[in-house]
Amino acid sequence: MNTRIFRRNEFYLLAVIVVFCLGITIVSPAFLTVENLFDLIRSSSGMAILAVGFFVVLLSGGTDISFPAVAIVSQYIAVNAIIALGIDNLWLAFAISSAIGIAFGAVNAFFISFFKIPTLIVTLATMNIFHGLLLEFVGTKAINAGQLPNCFKTFGLTDLFTLARADGSTYGLSVFFVVLVLVLLVTWVILRHTVLGRVIYAMGGNMEAAKRSGFNIKRAQFFIYCYVGFLASVMGIIHVSLIRYSNATYIIDSELLHVIAAVVLGGASILGGAGTLTGTILGVIMISILEKNLVLLGLSSYWQQFFVGLIIVLGVSVTHIQKRIQNRRSLALVRE
Amino acid sequence: MTDAFLEVRSISKAYEGVQALKDVSITIGRGEIHCLVGENGSGKSTLIKCIGGVVTPDSGQVVIGGRVFERLQAIDAIREGIQVIYQDLSLYPNITVAENISLNQFVERRASFINWKEVRAIAAQGLAEIGEDIPLDENVQNLSVAKRQIVAITRCLTHGAKLIIMDEATSAITRDDVNHLFTVIARLKQKGISTLFISHKLSEVFEIAEMVTIIRDGRKVGDYPTAELDDQKLTFLMTGRNVQYTPYQFPAEKRKETPVLEARSLSRRGHFQNLSFSLWPGEILGLTGLIGSGRTELALSLFGLNRPDSGQILLNGKSVRIRSPRDAVRFGIGYLPEDRLTQGLFIGQSIGDNIVITIVRKLLGFLRLLDPARMKKTGEEWIADLKIKAPSARVPAWSLSGCNQQRVVLAKWLATDPKVFILDGPTIGVDIASKSNIHEIIRSLAERGIAIILISDEIPEILHSCNRVLVMGEGQLKKEIPDTADVDEAELLAVVGGKLLSGAVRA
Repeated sequence: MNTRIFRRNEFYLLAVIVVFCLGITIVSPAFLTVENLFDLIRSSSGMAILAVGFFVVLLSGGTDISFPAVAIVSQYIAVNAIIALGIDNLWLAFAISSAIGIAFGAVNAFFISFFKIPTLIVTLATMNIFHGLLLEFVGTKAINAGQLPNCFKTFGLTDLFTLARADGSTYGLSVFFVVLVLVLLVTWVILRHTVLGRVIYAMGGNMEAAKRSGFNIKRAQFFIYCYVGFLASVMGIIHVSLIRYSNATYIIDSELLHVIAAVVLGGASILGGAGTLTGTILGVIMISILEKNLVLLGLSSYWQQFFVGLIIVLGVSVTHIQKRIQNRRSLALVRE
Repeated sequence: MTDAFLEVRSISKAYEGVQALKDVSITIGRGEIHCLVGENGSGKSTLIKCIGGVVTPDSGQVVIGGRVFERLQAIDAIREGIQVIYQDLSLYPNITVAENISLNQFVERRASFINWKEVRAIAAQGLAEIGEDIPLDENVQNLSVAKRQIVAITRCLTHGAKLIIMDEATSAITRDDVNHLFTVIARLKQKGISTLFISHKLSEVFEIAEMVTIIRDGRKVGDYPTAELDDQKLTFLMTGRNVQYTPYQFPAEKRKETPVLEARSLSRRGHFQNLSFSLWPGEILGLTGLIGSGRTELALSLFGLNRPDSGQILLNGKSVRIRSPRDAVRFGIGYLPEDRLTQGLFIGQSIGDNIVITIVRKLLGFLRLLDPARMKKTGEEWIADLKIKAPSARVPAWSLSGCNQQRVVLAKWLATDPKVFILDGPTIGVDIASKSNIHEIIRSLAERGIAIILISDEIPEILHSCNRVLVMGEGQLKKEIPDTADVDEAELLAVVGGKLLSGAVRA
C-alpha cells in the first residue's frame, strides 16, 4: 500500500498544489493566511458542490453539462418565488430550488434511460431548453441586492466562527463550508457504502456487463441525474447568497469549464469508472487557487482562461495515455 | 438419463422468418463436461440464449433439475443455477477482484448497503473452492485474460452455479492457460458442476469433452461420446462435407528464375538475426514458430513497419529500402494483419470504401476529386471476384460475418495488385468451412502468380497450404523445409517445439 500512494494521481496533485502555494507565498507572503483560506472556502464551495455532482455523473460513464443552467434556473425561480410569496425563509428557498433541480435531473434521466440518447447530446439540448423556458416564461429582470430577500443575504454572511484581524475587524469561516462537508459526506457514503454507489462504479467500468447482471440501470440513471440536478440547485442558492444578485440571463459558462477542469484534474476519467472524491476536491482547490491568485504572481487574470483550457487538455490526455499503457500491459499479460 | 441436470426438449426459434433453431434437444448430466460445436451461424448462440432464458423459444421446453419451463426467463435460469460466461467475460475492469465476484449478490438480494467484509469473504471462499489464488484487492484491469477468466468462473460459482456455459473461452489465452482452465473445469466436475463448453478448436473439444453435441444449420446432427469421434468425422458432421486437403504443388524449375523477394542477412536487434531467404512468384511460403520467435517482427519489417538494422531486401533482384507501409505498397507488397478488426478494416465504413481505400489515388477523376462511379464499380468487381456475401457494396463492414470481413480485407490488398502478399494468421477465429474457403482463395492467388508468405500457428494449415516452410525460433531461422510433402504434422510440430528432424527431411 505504501508504494501505491505514489502511483496515485492525488499524490502528485497534492504535491503540485503545495509547490504552487509555496511559490505564491515566496512572491507574495500575504497569500498564506487563515483569512485567505476562509475566503477561498467561501468563494469556492459552490464550485466544489457542482464538481462533486459532475464527478458522480462522470463516474457512471455519462456526462451532464446542463448543471450550470439548472443552477441558474432553479436559483432565479426560487428567488422570485420567495419575493412573490413574501415568505422570507431560506429553507423554503432551498425546497423550491431543489424541487426544480431534481425535476430537471429527471427530465435528463428520462431521455437518457428511455431513448438511450448519448448523455452529452441530451444535456446539451436540455441546457438550452431549461434556460430558454426560464427567459420566456419567468422573465429576464435581474434582482439586485436591494430587492433580494433577507434570508439569502443572512445566509451569505453567516459564519461558523469569527477571528479578529489586527485592526479589530473580524472575518470568519462561512457556513457554506458546512453545506459542502455535508454534500461530501453524503456522496462518500453513497459511493462507498451503498449498493447503488457500487453499481455506479460498475456502470462506468462496463455498461454492457452491468445490464447483463440485471442491475437496474434506469433507476441508477434517475438517481444520478436527479442528484446532479439537486446539487446544482443547492449551488444556485449558495451562489445568489454569495454575490447578492440574481440574473436570469447570466450563464455560468466559466463555471462549467472550471468544474470540468477540476474534476478531470482530480483524476476522474472522462471514459467513466475511475476517480475519487479526494481527487475531485484537490482538483477544485487547484483550480480555485489558480483562478484567484494568478494576479499575485504578476500574471494578468486572462491567463486563468488559458490555464483552465490547458488543464482540461492535459488532464484528458493523461487519462488516455494511461489507458493505452494499461492496454499494452494487459496485452503483455496475455502473452506472458 | 435419470441424472440429467438440464434437458432441452425440441426447441425451435425463428427470427424474422429465418429458422435459427429447429427441433433441437440436448441433455446435460450433472457434473458432465459437454461440448457444443457448430459453425458460425449454425445456431449455437441462439441455443445458449434459450438455455440462459435470454431468448424465448417459439416452441419446446427447457427442463432444469426436473422443473419444466415453458417460457424460461433469465432470472429463472439464474435461480436454477445456470450461468453463462460470455466471450468478453462481463467483468468490471475498474473495481477489485473481490467486488467483481460479490457485487451481483448484493444487488440480487436487494441490499441497500455494501458490507465490505462480506464482499471479501464471499470472494475468498469462492476462489478457495476452485483452489485459485488471486489477490482480492487488485483491480481486474491489472489481471491477465486467463486470471480474469478465473474471476468470472468464481463469480458463477458463488452464485450457486450448477451449469456453467463458456462461450469461446479459449480464444484469447495461451496454451498453458488453456491447460490451467481445463484443470479448473475438472475441479468443477468433481463438485458436480456441469460445463457446456463452446469451442472452434477441435483439438480442445477432444481434450476436455465427455459428450459432444453437433449442430448444423439450426438442426442437431447428433450427440456423440467423444471416444466415438475423430477429427475427420467431427469435421464432416459439422460441415456436412468432407474437407479434403491436397498439398500445394510448386514446380521446382521455377526456382531458377529471379526471386521476386530476397532477404540477405536481415537483422534487427532483439527481434531477429541474420535471416536470409528467397521467394518466387506463385509460391506459398509458410512461416511458423512460437510466439516471440520473430516471425511477425520479420513480416512487419518487410512491410516497412519495423526497419532492420542491417541486411538487404531485394525485389526482383534490385536492392530496395522499405521505410514505410507506403513504400511497401508502392513496391507491390501487401500485408494482411493478424487482427483484422482493429488493423485491417474500417469497421464502420462500407465494404466498397474499405476495398478501394488502398487504391483511392488511382480512382481520382475530374480535378483530382474522387470518382464515385469508378469507386463503386471497383468495389463491386472485387465483391464478385472473392464471392463476398453482402447485399451491396454500401453496407458497413461490421454487418458482415468474420469470414466475409476477412475477404474484404483480402480484396483491399488484392486491389493494389501486390507481387508479394504477407498473410498473418488469416484464419484465426473463422470456422472450418470458411477456413478451407480462405485457403482456396490463397491458392488461387498463388496460381495468379502472386508470391505469398503465410504466417500461422496451425501446423495443419501450414502443411496443407504451403509448398515450403520456414521455421523460426528465438529470432533465428531454425529450419527450412523445402517441400511440405516430405514432412508430417508431428515432425513439423517437433521442429517448431525445438526438436531436431528425423533424417529424411534434414535438408
